[in-house]
Amino acid sequence: MTDNSCTVISSGSRGNKLLFRYPFQRVAEYPSSLTAKQRNPYALNTAGDGLEDQDGDSRYKLCLIFLLKRFSDIILSTILATKSDMCGKKFELKIDNVRFVGHPTLLQHPPVIQVSKTDPSPKREMPTMILFNVVFALRTNADPSVISCMHNLSRRIAIALQHEERRCQYLTREAKLMLAAQDEITTMTEMDGSPQSPFRQILPKCKLARDLKEAYDSLCTTGVVRLHINNWLEVSFCLPHKIHRIGSNYIPPEALERSLKAIRPYHALLLLESEKALLSQLPLDCSPAMVRLIKTSSAMKNLQQLAQDADLALLQIFQIAAHLVYWGKAIIIYPLCENNVYMLSPHANISLYSPLAEHFTQHFPGYDLPSMLAKFSLPVSLAEFRNPLEAPAQEAYLIQMVVWMLQHHLLIQLHTYVCLLVPPSEEEPGLRDEDLPLAARVGGRSLSTPSALSFGSPTSSDDMTLTSPSMDNSSAELLPGGDSPLNKRMTETLLASLSEHERQVILNIPAAQNPEDLRMFARLLHYFRGHHHLEEIMYNENMRRSQLKTLLDKFRSVLVVTNHEDPIISIFQSPME
Amino acid sequence: MARIECIFFSEFHPTLGPKITYQVPEEYISRELFDTVQVYIITKPELQNKLITVTAMGKKLIGCPVCIEHKKYSRNALLFNLGLVCDAQTNTCALEPIVKKLSGYLTTLELESGFISKEESKHKLLPIMSTLLEELNATGACTLPIDESNTIHLKLIQLRKDPPIVQEYDVPVFTQCKDHFIKSQWDLTTQQILPYIDGFRHIQKISAEADVELNLVRIAVQNLLYYGVVTLVSIFQYSNVYCTTPKVQSLIDDKSIQEECLNYVTKQGHKRASLRDVFQLYCGLSPGTTVRDLCSRYSLQLQNVDERRLIQFGLMKSLIRRLQKYPVKVIRDERSRPPRLYTGCHSYDEICCKTGITYKELDERLENDSNIVICWK
Repeated sequence: MTDNSCTVISSGSRGNKLLFRYPFQRVAEYPSSLTAKQRNPYALNTAGDGLEDQDGDSRYKLCLIFLLKRFSDIILSTILATKSDMCGKKFELKIDNVRFVGHPTLLQHPPVIQVSKTDPSPKREMPTMILFNVVFALRTNADPSVISCMHNLSRRIAIALQHEERRCQYLTREAKLMLAAQDEITTMTEMDGSPQSPFRQILPKCKLARDLKEAYDSLCTTGVVRLHINNWLEVSFCLPHKIHRIGSNYIPPEALERSLKAIRPYHALLLLESEKALLSQLPLDCSPAMVRLIKTSSAMKNLQQLAQDADLALLQIFQIAAHLVYWGKAIIIYPLCENNVYMLSPHANISLYSPLAEHFTQHFPGYDLPSMLAKFSLPVSLAEFRNPLEAPAQEAYLIQMVVWMLQHHLLIQLHTYVCLLVPPSEEEPGLRDEDLPLAARVGGRSLSTPSALSFGSPTSSDDMTLTSPSMDNSSAELLPGGDSPLNKRMTETLLASLSEHERQVILNIPAAQNPEDLRMFARLLHYFRGHHHLEEIMYNENMRRSQLKTLLDKFRSVLVVTNHEDPIISIFQSPME
Repeated sequence: MARIECIFFSEFHPTLGPKITYQVPEEYISRELFDTVQVYIITKPELQNKLITVTAMGKKLIGCPVCIEHKKYSRNALLFNLGLVCDAQTNTCALEPIVKKLSGYLTTLELESGFISKEESKHKLLPIMSTLLEELNATGACTLPIDESNTIHLKLIQLRKDPPIVQEYDVPVFTQCKDHFIKSQWDLTTQQILPYIDGFRHIQKISAEADVELNLVRIAVQNLLYYGVVTLVSIFQYSNVYCTTPKVQSLIDDKSIQEECLNYVTKQGHKRASLRDVFQLYCGLSPGTTVRDLCSRYSLQLQNVDERRLIQFGLMKSLIRRLQKYPVKVIRDERSRPPRLYTGCHSYDEICCKTGITYKELDERLENDSNIVICWK
């Protein structure tokens, strides 16, 4: 993905300076522009733009640059040492097919060590840094979202460096080391005539150089960067494009974000690594809330339940969950329960020779992955898969298999969606069914959820406590009252959103003669647009599955149902869209 | 399409240094902006003749700095840059070849007749730039005579994504009405296979019937795919199994897809199919249900609907997807050869295409083999 290298450049009254770059440029690639006077390609460009300021201090601009092999260091310093008014914003430059991305940062305050203005000596060894720039170089066919991410990393490093510079002149000190190492090599080269990379010498002496090298290496391999600038400030970053890969496809960050914005309290968090492994990866100063969440999460608990168990606010749970998902440590699923129906994901790797197949057999000796996957060729509910005739221990084992398959993006869960479609009237053959106007949601308050379950025994999703203090907010329609005028009027209002023809057809259905049924139907009308699955309706309206199914059956002449995956969370199993 | 906000002509003036000589519209590039980016417009020698795009102050400037060295110029060199300005969010890849071409044109003009260094001809740049701006934004193309012997031809080419590999068991289907297709614009191979692209013949069949080599057919269809002229669906059989995708709801939400669908699937000469019938048919497709099953269960709804076109439309718009069968040989003797086709990587479609046996025959062979499991996905 990236053809990066890392360069540090400084520019000032003595011109722009290249301090460090990684990977080192191979000397053989250098343009043979060597004149008789053996021009050292790493020599500092002393053709200053005359930026000498009145005070006589040699101010210079420092640029850290991640740079590509084809550009000479001198050119880079010229083009990447930006003007001050480009600071604090994204820097983007494209030259032929190389794209540079950075975040030039201004250092407002001069370092504490003041240079005496009365001192007439012209050259100072303590230059003042004005500006620095951390730049990445990428191939131009990089996705725009990759470029945004790299800019983000550049900005984070810049913030850390700016902070450390203000606190203890960290940058100045590191720059000095880099310059000194370069001067050393220059001298050596002049003497024996063979140019070599000074940057190799810098690495052992300069922590910042090592950090930058580490950032580069991490980006190219895992996509996760963790640095400690000056052994103090942590800079952490992950490149979603490298982390969220399913096979050869990656989940675009925008799709990920859309998904995360749409998750609901009835969804669940599924960790992709064991609790122990995850906890060991967390930094020492991580939030205790995160630890609590990881320890209490389970594939069978929805986020609402998790909030209660971990004693955290639901909003916090959402945030931490989103964070874990972003870092590729977890995915969002619907909590495991008996009625869940699963099927093979269209992108599942079912090859006999895949590494997945091998992992599976290691994890579950005596079973092979393709045989297990074949059982999900037709949609099968968890209850059916579990096979109650087996011993309970066996049951738990099979549940673990399903969890494993979900973690490895092999299964999709199917939900039932309902759509209201009234048979067209006879008199107006040209009349087409109108789209239902979007009715406002009624209630939507989070009500009781499935009770806490021990691992290995998912129960029916029906298992909800129907008596809860928060029930009072529910609309009056839930109260038995039969034909009260209030109830009747509410039903009428709800049905008013339909066309005359639709209303007539519905009222002619035998079940509509029962006011309770009609009332419930009217109340649920806004769910029948094909965008809300049964579990969502059950959660929002605090209904039992059997209740809902009976109602749907009674009104089946005007409803069309179908089963498919939940588009909100399907990206975790099928990244292609 | 990328919208060009401004075209500018910048040069190195012998006394004033880098400046913008002409820009349309006038005053678009502020003094401040130019100061910030001039180092990328009139550049050091190492950056000349490179396409440089710099983003600053909410704008993107794309240019290609040119340097022509000759004693006749003051300072012995002529430095200039004809560039475009767009909004910073614009994707400007398609504009790059245009900038490069323009710099080439101007270089030629200067070398041939001193177009830029002579004041009388340099003035002509302004109306040229105006026309370029107008026409490129309007139509994406511009043909402009400069003088008696030189004409500029420019066109914005949209870059498209690489098309997928076309397999012999894929079926190409036209995305638009076939009659709108101008045969003569395409190569001979494409012209030869055109009559056989009917949305039902797969690549292997097209190759056999059109008498064109298989790989040539694949490449020709891939080319059609690239330009969005066709899309690929799978072979139709009454034994096929399909299921709905979340996108099926768009039939309810999106009026234009509704219209398109009902027009497409209604049987020729019949009354227009109703949305309800068509939606019920799509929703009737599910794992375990073959098209044959659908036809018998929903015969009423199918009165005005052509089921083959129903499936075709559903696949083209991703309202439904095909469930393919993949045989996997899970138990085998240590001594026997490793499975070649029964690995879970090859579908029935592929196996039948490659080996020539029919579905039914393959089913019979595999049904009785206890070492083989079938996965549907």
